[in-house]
Amino acid sequence: MLHGKSLRGEGIFSGFSMKQISLLTLLVSVSGVSALLADMPPKKIALSDFPAAAVQDVVVPVPSEIFTVLDKLGNPNWKSQLRDGKAQTPEDRARTALLLGNVIAEGFVAVEAEDSERVKELGRQVLTLAEAINVRKSVIARSKSITDKADQRDWKGVRAEFDGALQDVRGAMQELNDQDLSQLVSLGGWLRGTEVLTSIVQSGFSRDGAELLHQPELVNYFDRCIGSMGSRLRKNPLVSEIRDVLRKIGPIVNEGGEDISIDQVKIIHDLTHGVNQQVVNGAN
Amino acid sequence: MAVSIVTVFLPLRLQATVDDALSFAYEAALPYYKQGFSIRKDAWGGDLGVREKKAVSSQLFKGNDYWFLMATDLKGASLSVHLYDDKGNLVDAESWQKGRFAGARVSPKSTGTFFAIVQILKSPEDRTPWALVYGYK
Repeated sequence: MLHGKSLRGEGIFSGFSMKQISLLTLLVSVSGVSALLADMPPKKIALSDFPAAAVQDVVVPVPSEIFTVLDKLGNPNWKSQLRDGKAQTPEDRARTALLLGNVIAEGFVAVEAEDSERVKELGRQVLTLAEAINVRKSVIARSKSITDKADQRDWKGVRAEFDGALQDVRGAMQELNDQDLSQLVSLGGWLRGTEVLTSIVQSGFSRDGAELLHQPELVNYFDRCIGSMGSRLRKNPLVSEIRDVLRKIGPIVNEGGEDISIDQVKIIHDLTHGVNQQVVNGAN
Repeated sequence: MAVSIVTVFLPLRLQATVDDALSFAYEAALPYYKQGFSIRKDAWGGDLGVREKKAVSSQLFKGNDYWFLMATDLKGASLSVHLYDDKGNLVDAESWQKGRFAGARVSPKSTGTFFAIVQILKSPEDRTPWALVYGYK
């Protein structure tokens, strides 16, 4: 991804005046007309026409992409989803990266629960864990903003900061050529997000909720990422176990999204809960 | 990831222009940001020949609305982006194309993998740097 050179989350447009924004809006509106004339896409394409080299990998969704949908599905008991306690910073860098992603995802749960103290604590944990893998600098401002916005109960703002923290940490790691650890941060976030999502879907099962788990390419992508990691990381017992879990989840989420049953949701929940316990507490 | 590889191995001049293309893609995203879309910092990019296409895969969620915005910094070039589901069906809710900028919107009817098909329609150069960003709400 084009991390590092790109712009900072919600601050991307801070350099533009309202006049410039209006002009661009006009440009986009006018261009809609020319689109009809200049560019007629086929209604159907054969995806098999695209060899692997002509397909770029999936970008991992940020947690708020899923949480915005969950917002629309109802009002689950988020407080009951919050995890207790504070995880110790592991010595194992792989586990630290996974835990960092896990903690950021937990931040979203705390936001949903509107628990400002927990949000602030998680913001501080993000900083501590980032320090352990040498990317503290990238999240200092985010951590402070999380605290400030939690005090103001600006939940939308806190969400944006946790999203930004995830992307900034990954960007900083990529600048350090630590692609593998960067992927583990994303994976850690996805694992905790999936654990929570499956818990919520189980407690008030709906097909729309279960369908959110239909993420076949994403699961395959994480599997491929682990497969391409250096042998030391790939053979890390926790990383290896997570890969096994992904391979169990893959066939379930590969089915049609509307066909994921409550039993299958439970299976995914148990699998993700199991590895997340290890991410937080170390090996059983 | 593919874009990372592009970033690492492209000649410096081309890498710089992909970064420039990204700036233009964010510029195209600006009106949608104003409309409440969260624009992702992550992006795809690279370079393509004229009429050459690339598929960009993306996990989208039913219930969200998405805009994909593509751009190049190369004057005189034009490009397009359109969205397809995993069966190859066009799912654009709307799209536009204006010279070096293009955009397509989708409101997925189901959660799953979708593909943004990006293409260089014309260009004064053999290879045209491009970048693609997306936003959601």
